[in-house]
This record gives sequence, structure tokens and C-alpha cells, in this order.
Amino acid sequence: MAYQTVVVKEPLLFRILPYISIVSFFLLWEGAVQTGVIPQTLLAAPSQVFASFIDKLSNPNPDGAVMATHFITSLEEAFLGYVLALLVGLPLGLAMGWFKVAEGLFRPIFELIRPIPPIAWIPLTVFWFGIGLTGKVFIIWVAGIVPCVINAYVGVRMTSPVLIQMARTYGASDWQIFTQLCIPSSLPMVFGALQLALAYCWTNLVGAELLAADSGLGFLITMGGRVARPALIVLGMICVGISGAVIGIIIDCIEKKLLAGIRR
Amino acid sequence: MSEAPRQIEKDSVTLHDNSKERPVPYQEEADVKIRVNNLTKRFGALTVLDGINFTIKKGELLAIVGPTGCGKTTFLNCLSKLMPATEGEILIDGEEANPRKHNIAYVFQEPTCLPWRTVRDNVAYGMEVKGESKKKRDERAAEIMELVGLSSCADLYPNQVSASMMQRIAVSRAFAVNPDLLLMDEPYGQLDVKLRFYLEDELISLWQKLSSTILFVTHNIEEAVYVAERVLILTNKPTKIKAEIKVDLPRPRKLIDPRFVELRKKVTELIRWW
Repeated sequence: MAYQTVVVKEPLLFRILPYISIVSFFLLWEGAVQTGVIPQTLLAAPSQVFASFIDKLSNPNPDGAVMATHFITSLEEAFLGYVLALLVGLPLGLAMGWFKVAEGLFRPIFELIRPIPPIAWIPLTVFWFGIGLTGKVFIIWVAGIVPCVINAYVGVRMTSPVLIQMARTYGASDWQIFTQLCIPSSLPMVFGALQLALAYCWTNLVGAELLAADSGLGFLITMGGRVARPALIVLGMICVGISGAVIGIIIDCIEKKLLAGIRR
Repeated sequence: MSEAPRQIEKDSVTLHDNSKERPVPYQEEADVKIRVNNLTKRFGALTVLDGINFTIKKGELLAIVGPTGCGKTTFLNCLSKLMPATEGEILIDGEEANPRKHNIAYVFQEPTCLPWRTVRDNVAYGMEVKGESKKKRDERAAEIMELVGLSSCADLYPNQVSASMMQRIAVSRAFAVNPDLLLMDEPYGQLDVKLRFYLEDELISLWQKLSSTILFVTHNIEEAVYVAERVLILTNKPTKIKAEIKVDLPRPRKLIDPRFVELRKKVTELIRWW
């Protein structure tokens, strides 16, 4: 009894549509600025942004670092904050979903901290950690922890009650049910958390870099504003956007590989 | 209903006297695997199960038929210790039933396969909970899958196999732990007729090979008479045992055999007065 996966090929138009859409967007933007519909002082054209990019690859002026340094700094902070958020938030959320003790202990505090925007922590982190990597990682960590806890919690709560009953009749203990049923059951939600946490972390990266820095993509954006060079601002923004998208795609691929067996 | 138990002609039908709360006549002590004494379950003011008494012999296949809403799911939940009984006790081999200590298996009406495990790992799941070694698990799972005919799809996932396969996986998993008591709640209720006959035969064959003690709950009278050695008939709420019918036809049973039809009619008659 062979099992075959049927692959449906999308029509050509739908496959190239995304590319057409992106190219058109950039062409429109370029056209708008070159023809003067949008003044050059307000927005830089893609060609100018690209020129700045090439320039920044080797030129540390005016902000003090080359592109590579900016990327590395931002990625470093974001990666640290993100991974720490996953390592703390996911187990916490999973435990809160199943063990009433954990829920009772942590939920009230979590519900109080959750609505506070991560940026509001900046003054406190300056007191605690001064100006440096730790402070920025803390902000990003606080940002990423929220979706991890929530999604993990919901994922565990959604475990099918019949499966739990079935395990109980075989004499499964609470811990066995947690590890054998709740955690695998919650994996789709947990992967959702990975994507959400990435979004939260990455958007707060720029805010975190307001904390005073000497490199980083967020720093590039604010510097661009200070020296009145819109091309730098847009360059910083586009880099943030593209990096975030690429990381999102990588996580997506990992998810597909790991969740291959979990069919619903 | 204050009549003494009476025998109807030469048929082995016993009507239970429910006015007095006494257990059924004890069978050979050595033979009795499961003994249920005065099982009562109340939810506040509502009495669902009212003083149910019966025994099951070792290796017996007992069927239970009852009207919808008579609390058969509650009944099974109490037997499997998913729910505590208000009164009464359930004894396996003379001791209070305990899912940690005894091997109780429960095949639910809905498919209960773990979607993230292969068929093989699903069949091995019951044994895994019990803490059997990997080697033993693999051996026994392979053995049971061979008996049931699941070996060819051992590496597939539940969403790649049909609903009937999922029930067979649940049944295999239940047999794999070598249960002291195997409870089945209308496992074939949602499948078509031809499949039901096939799976009933499969169940009988597994039961004969592995000699498990089975309690099989069903609405389908034909299924009950085909499969079981004894049939218990329940009343409406508050539920008691109305009657007990011995089915000692030789196997394989023929649905058109006059004796089979007679027994089926007897059960239907008793049920009609629910």
C-alpha cells in the first residue's frame, strides 16, 4: 500500500506575481522621487538608497561604522534577546498551561507586565545596566517573552481532552501526560510563537538602540535623522525589514522540517 | 419488581431482582477476574448508576447493551477509574482497581491516536506509559500489528490512514498492554456494516489468541450477540442491570443460525421494554 504525496503546481502567473509586485513597487517609488512628485528632501529614491548602501560598505562616515558592523551589532543583540526569550518564555508558558501551581504563581505577574511596552523599560535598564549590550538585550528579551508565554500556554490548554483521558486509563502520571501529550500537542502554537517573538524582538530592536549606541541598524536610522540624510534613514529601515524577513523565512523552513510528522 | 429470579423455559436468561441490594450469586472464586459491587454514581440529586452488581470471569467477553442516556459512558468512566464512584467498589483480582497498578485499557468511541506518532509508536504508546522496555515494546507491537494486519502501514501517520484503521490502532494498543480489563465503548459505531463485521471477527480472533477479559458496550444487538459470551442489559436511569443472557453458541457464529436469531429476538424483546 504505497502512499504518494500529490504535488499541485501553481499556474505560472501566481508564481511570478510576488516578484512582479516587488519590482513594480520599487519602480513606482523611484519614479515618484525622480519626477519630483515627492521632493528629494523628504524621501530618498531607491537608487540613492542603493548608492548609500554601496558607500557604507566601506565608508564609516558619518555615523562611525561600516554596514557590516551595523548588521553584526543588531543581529547579535536581537539573537541574544530572542534566544533568551525562547529559553525562558516557552518552558514557562508550557508549565503554566498544565501545572496549576505554575499558573497560580506566574500568571498574575505576567498579566501585569505584559501591557507595558518594552521601550518603557529603557530608563530602568539604564540605571541597572548602564549603556551597553546588556541593556539592549534586556529590552529585546522582555519584548520576545510575551508571545512565547501566551502561545505556549494556549497550545497546552488546547490539548485534546480525549487523549488525556486515554492516557489516564493507562495510568499515565501528570508528568508523563505533560511530556508525551501536552508538549507535542502544543508544537504548532509554539512555532507560531517563534515567528511572533521574532516580530516583537525585531521591532523593538530599533527602540532598544535609542539607548545610545555606536552601531546597529537602529542607530543608523537615528543617525541618518541627525545628519539629515534621508538615504541613510531609508537604508537602515530597509535593512531592518529585509533582515527580519530573511530570518522569518529561515524559521519557517526549520518549522516545516520539524513539524513534518505532526499532521492535523 | 419484587419477583424472585426466574428461568424462562430452557433459555439461559436471568432477570435480576433489583428491589434487594444483593450481589449476583458468586461464581467460582478462582475464575472471577472483575467483581463490581454496588456501583453507584450520583451527580448531585441525579442518580445515574444505582447499585450495579456483576462479575466477569477471566478471559470472558461480556457485552453490555443499554438505552441511550442510561449512563453507559459514566459506567465505563467509573470502571476505568476516570471518575470516582459515589458508592460501591470495583475489584480486579480481589483488589481495588487502580490504573497505575492494573492494566486497564479503554477504547473510546472517537479515534484516540496521537497524530504526531507513527502507527507503530501509537500501538506502543500504552506500553510506554506502563514503562515497558523499548525492546519489549517493539516486539509486542510488531506481534500485535501482524495479527491485526497493520504491519504494512506501520510507518504511516494517523492522518494518512482511514478512520477504521485508527480504531484498529486503538484496539491494538489496548491489547498490547495485556490488559486485566479491556473496556470498549462502541468502538465500531461510526463505521459501515461490512467493516463492522470484519472488525468484529478481528476482535474475536485477537481475544481468542490473547485471552483478554473484555467488556464491550454497544447499541447494536446483533453485534452484542455475535461477539459476546454473555450479554448484560441495562435499564434506563437510574441504571441497574435488567437481565443477563448467556450466549453459548459455537464460533464462528452465523447470523442466520436459528438459535442466533432466537437469542437476538430475546434480547430485543427485553430491550423493547426499556
